Amino acid sequence: MGKSQKSSKEVDELSKEISRDVTANGSTEGINEKDDRFQPSDLVDSLEDEGSPYDSGEDDQDASDYKSHSNAEESDSSEDEVQGSPYDSGEDDQDASDYKSLRSAEESDSSEDEVQGFSYDSGEDDQDASDYKSHRSAEESDSSEDEVPSRNTVGDVPLEWYKEEEHIGYDITGKKIKKRARKDRIESFLAGVDDAKNWRKIYDDYNDEEVELTKEEVKMIHRMLRGKTPHAGVDPYAPYVDWFEWEDKGHPLSNAPEPKRRFIPSKWEQKKVVRYIRAIRKGFLKFDKPKEEPHVYLLWGDDSTAAENKRHGLSYIPAPKPKLAGHEESYNPSVEFIPTQEEINSYQLMLEEDRPKFIPRRFESLRNVPAYENAIKETFDRCLDLYLCPRTRKKRINIDPESLKPKLPSLKDLRPYPSTCYLEYRGHTGPVKTISIDISGQWMASGSSDGTVRVWEIETSRCIKVWDVGEAVNHVTWNPLPELPILSISVGRDVLILDTRLANAENQARVKELLHVEESLLEEDEGNTTPVVRWVRDDKYDAIRLKHLKAVTTIDWHRKGDYFTTVVPSGHTRAILMHQLSKKHTHSPFQKLRGLPVTAVFHPTRSMFFISTKTHVWVYDLLKQKVVKKLETGLQEVSSISIHPGGDNVIVGSKEGKMCWFDMDLSSKPYKTLTSHHMKDITNVAFHRLYPLFASSSEDCTAYVFHGMVYSDLNQNPLIVPLKILRGHNSSKGRGVLDCKFHPRQPWLFTAGADSIIKLYCH
Amino acid sequence: MEFGLGSGGGGGGGGDESARRVQVRFTTKLGPPLRVPSASLAVPSNLTRMGLSEIVNLLLKNVNDEHKVQPFDFLIVGELVRLPLEDFLLAKGISAEKVLEIEYIKAIAPRKQPNPSLHDDWVSSVDGSNPSYILTGCYDGIARLWKGGAECTHKLAGHTGAITSAVIINGKDDSKHTFHIATGSKDRSLRLWKVLLSTNFDGIDYSEQPVNVRESKILQGHTASVQSVSSDPSGDMICSGSWDGTIKLWEVKNSDADGDSVSIKKRRLISNTANQVESQLEVEGVAVTTFVGHSQSVSSVIWPEHETIYSASWDHSIRQWDVETGKDTWNMASCKMCGKVLNCLDVGGESSALIAAGGSDPVLRVWDPRKPGSLAPVFQFSSHSSWITACKWHRKSWFHLLSASYDGKVMLWDLRTAWPLAIIDSHKDKVLCADWWKDDSIISGGADSKLLVCSGVSI
Repeated sequence: MGKSQKSSKEVDELSKEISRDVTANGSTEGINEKDDRFQPSDLVDSLEDEGSPYDSGEDDQDASDYKSHSNAEESDSSEDEVQGSPYDSGEDDQDASDYKSLRSAEESDSSEDEVQGFSYDSGEDDQDASDYKSHRSAEESDSSEDEVPSRNTVGDVPLEWYKEEEHIGYDITGKKIKKRARKDRIESFLAGVDDAKNWRKIYDDYNDEEVELTKEEVKMIHRMLRGKTPHAGVDPYAPYVDWFEWEDKGHPLSNAPEPKRRFIPSKWEQKKVVRYIRAIRKGFLKFDKPKEEPHVYLLWGDDSTAAENKRHGLSYIPAPKPKLAGHEESYNPSVEFIPTQEEINSYQLMLEEDRPKFIPRRFESLRNVPAYENAIKETFDRCLDLYLCPRTRKKRINIDPESLKPKLPSLKDLRPYPSTCYLEYRGHTGPVKTISIDISGQWMASGSSDGTVRVWEIETSRCIKVWDVGEAVNHVTWNPLPELPILSISVGRDVLILDTRLANAENQARVKELLHVEESLLEEDEGNTTPVVRWVRDDKYDAIRLKHLKAVTTIDWHRKGDYFTTVVPSGHTRAILMHQLSKKHTHSPFQKLRGLPVTAVFHPTRSMFFISTKTHVWVYDLLKQKVVKKLETGLQEVSSISIHPGGDNVIVGSKEGKMCWFDMDLSSKPYKTLTSHHMKDITNVAFHRLYPLFASSSEDCTAYVFHGMVYSDLNQNPLIVPLKILRGHNSSKGRGVLDCKFHPRQPWLFTAGADSIIKLYCH
Repeated sequence: MEFGLGSGGGGGGGGDESARRVQVRFTTKLGPPLRVPSASLAVPSNLTRMGLSEIVNLLLKNVNDEHKVQPFDFLIVGELVRLPLEDFLLAKGISAEKVLEIEYIKAIAPRKQPNPSLHDDWVSSVDGSNPSYILTGCYDGIARLWKGGAECTHKLAGHTGAITSAVIINGKDDSKHTFHIATGSKDRSLRLWKVLLSTNFDGIDYSEQPVNVRESKILQGHTASVQSVSSDPSGDMICSGSWDGTIKLWEVKNSDADGDSVSIKKRRLISNTANQVESQLEVEGVAVTTFVGHSQSVSSVIWPEHETIYSASWDHSIRQWDVETGKDTWNMASCKMCGKVLNCLDVGGESSALIAAGGSDPVLRVWDPRKPGSLAPVFQFSSHSSWITACKWHRKSWFHLLSASYDGKVMLWDLRTAWPLAIIDSHKDKVLCADWWKDDSIISGGADSKLLVCSGVSI
């Protein structure tokens, strides 16, 4: 078969060659033009005749037919060729001879090289022949038709370079290939009209020649267009030929028999699967649920937020939407939307802004609905709104107001603190100005403007002692020593040091001894030019009377119970006086005072002394005898002061209702100022000795209890939490609570009111 | 058996509401004349205690024509009925489907004494442990003995300060004719008095008339006022709590011997109008031991058993002391369950183990020290409106206790209900003390200087 195929192939090639030659001839030699016209057609015809069985060459049957046919041909090939050849009538001997020589060369088994060589040698002057031969050689070397060496050898250069030249390039021998004379359009058209095969012609401007595609080539193109193999003879689905033999070969990679594990289910996988199943069942393993898209969305949703999300910079702010019409705006709304006549009348009484814009009415049918009288006005207003109202984007910060509050511990955790009044101490007939609790917590002394001093038993609210001192009492204080129940009372210009007789027998003797004034000492004092204070024995009350020059406001005892200080606000240089009970001696250590003194208190633990003037608090060191600190309260008028039992914190109450907490380690400015709790003057502030509590009482009939925790850790600021407002006192002549004191051991607060009642607030 | 309410269907048993009925059966532990047939009845569910009481009275009348109408109280599953029956069942989660067992007991209706015994000053302490005499302590420093609760037979003067506590020492081995009295006062001392009921001093048998009250001893040692006195059950010793935070134990008996054998100089002889109180000064007694532990005033001491003393203090704690070792075996201070100042304390109730205490708030609390772990009060009664000054368990009943408060009320409590059984508010001012007397009366004294006796409290 191979041979016949080859021969038929050769026939194709041949015919192609011929046609090429013909065209070449035709183009070079104008004389042959007319002949050319016929010859190719003949050729094609012949080719068609010859190749018809080949057309459907995919079929094996056809191929076999052809085979037989070609076999048959072999015998009388020369005749056939002579017959079918177009060269019969060919004038060009050369061609014919060429052809013949070719044929003969092919018939014989002589090598192609020889033929080539031969043709090559002879082909110097004869281009066609040489062309053919080169073509042949290329054909033999590689079946690909693309690699037909072209006549022109200029290579892959732009053809414009030869535009101006008369030649188009050089052939293989280096000779110029002349340009053919160009046919003008009309000529080429006419030629094309006459030539039925014109559609198969292609101009090859590289070689400057016209190429006519053969029928095979056209077929090939068609096949390729249809996506088939170019050659019909190629079977893409040819049965696979296994060139290698596998079985019974001597050396496989492993001769071992196939292991069992290859064909039983894997136990390990099974275990893994079981584990997964368990995990899923028990919920350890969770699958990501697909995100649920909301089925419904807000059709009338605010699209302004959507716009806000998308845009940046100068963005479009959508106009507010007009209110959608409701049921009441229907032409025939339900009865419940219709206002009664009374309601309509009442609208008239409302303000213009509050009046409803629309009053629902009922109509029988839509026809009866009158034209809307405000339509134009409202449209205009709306347009005006859209046009004129500047719409700004409000940056709204959503802050939970609760989160802005300081984090305070809950009141439950701060218990105990005084909250409820259970006991009242009644007996005074005037406003109770001052109270003081005995250090043991059993007795309370109170002084009132009715001129009496009373001592109460706290437990039962029983008044056990009354002294009528005849004048309004300013201040009472107990001696801080529990074994010396001595009461100091400031009455007008005098200070009474009183024995309450509450001590037991042996202490009673001591008290008596302390309260004994020698007359000689008095005379010595009188010998001075200006006796600051005269110590006088008061037989009526079994007491010592300290006669001051001016009115005494406050008394404070030193913690050791021997020294005490009195404040005489109008005493100028002798405003603050120090007294020593054991020696019955008085001196005024503070000669120079800046400001009017209000109160003076001793430090609870150290030898320090606090003097509060109306605006400042001066802290003195009693040993060094100099000012240690000056606390700037920033208040108008200080009314009271209390020192934390730790000694480093001071609270100051003022007459404008403010209270300052000073942390003396921190600064001389208030650590906290509590401003707005009291409406009126603060009358007293007090710290509790043991519990972290402090309180303030005010003329507005209230007392406030605060939690004031001072930490031993210096880095931690004191914690101040308001706990409770204690009410209960009644106002009397514009005055409210005049004094407040804590019980020394229990979280109880005593308040003295202008309504002449003392109240005890317990936890 | 349907039970339709007749006239005055108590508790507002209306007609339209009568559709809802509860099947009940009345049971009782009372004697036969007060026993109703044990058939189950259907009663309206909106009945209150009064309605139930009326039903029981009607039933009793059916059985016995001579029955006198009297009030009853009703217990359902150990709780006293204080709500309409329906609400009660709902609140307690008791099914109304079954036949309800209602136990009835005699209701307590205290009768008030018309004319209270007036004192010269506040009555700070009462003791009703002697069935024939009531002992009161007064702020004028005089302890008084009231015969039958009406007539002041003796005044025990001697204290220089107000008496805070007075107890009658009922020794078991005491002879019938003598008993001791111990008083504590704010003058930091205690005094022991000996009462001879019938002596042959004069050869006359006074028969239950105390002719002689002798001051036998002055017990000095406290550095602050004595707040509370309590005696050993045997009557041999007394203990006292004081404001100085200590508890001191004193001998009673040997002083007797001393006092009798060693003749002490007679300083003065006070002849009273009522009777003669022989003042025999001054046998000074010294404390046997002192229990130190409380940091503040010991407001109340109780010596219920021979070896244990309970004390309540202003330092918010209750302590149990072992008399032999002087150590506190149980301390309620550690957990601040109460956190309040305690004024009064009593031990009683179920097997005399429950501790009741009241203090500086209106809540009467009952603790069970046997309950492990938790120190939370097992009962809380909070109907008072001010400090509680006294609380006493009934000597025989496990359930009843009374409390006195500064709000002027004495309340009688039953552990089985959260509401007071009875409220006695005859006092015009603070009630400072209260006690049981003769098991069916409540005596109380207060700041209105009155001693009130409420009888008819039959438990």
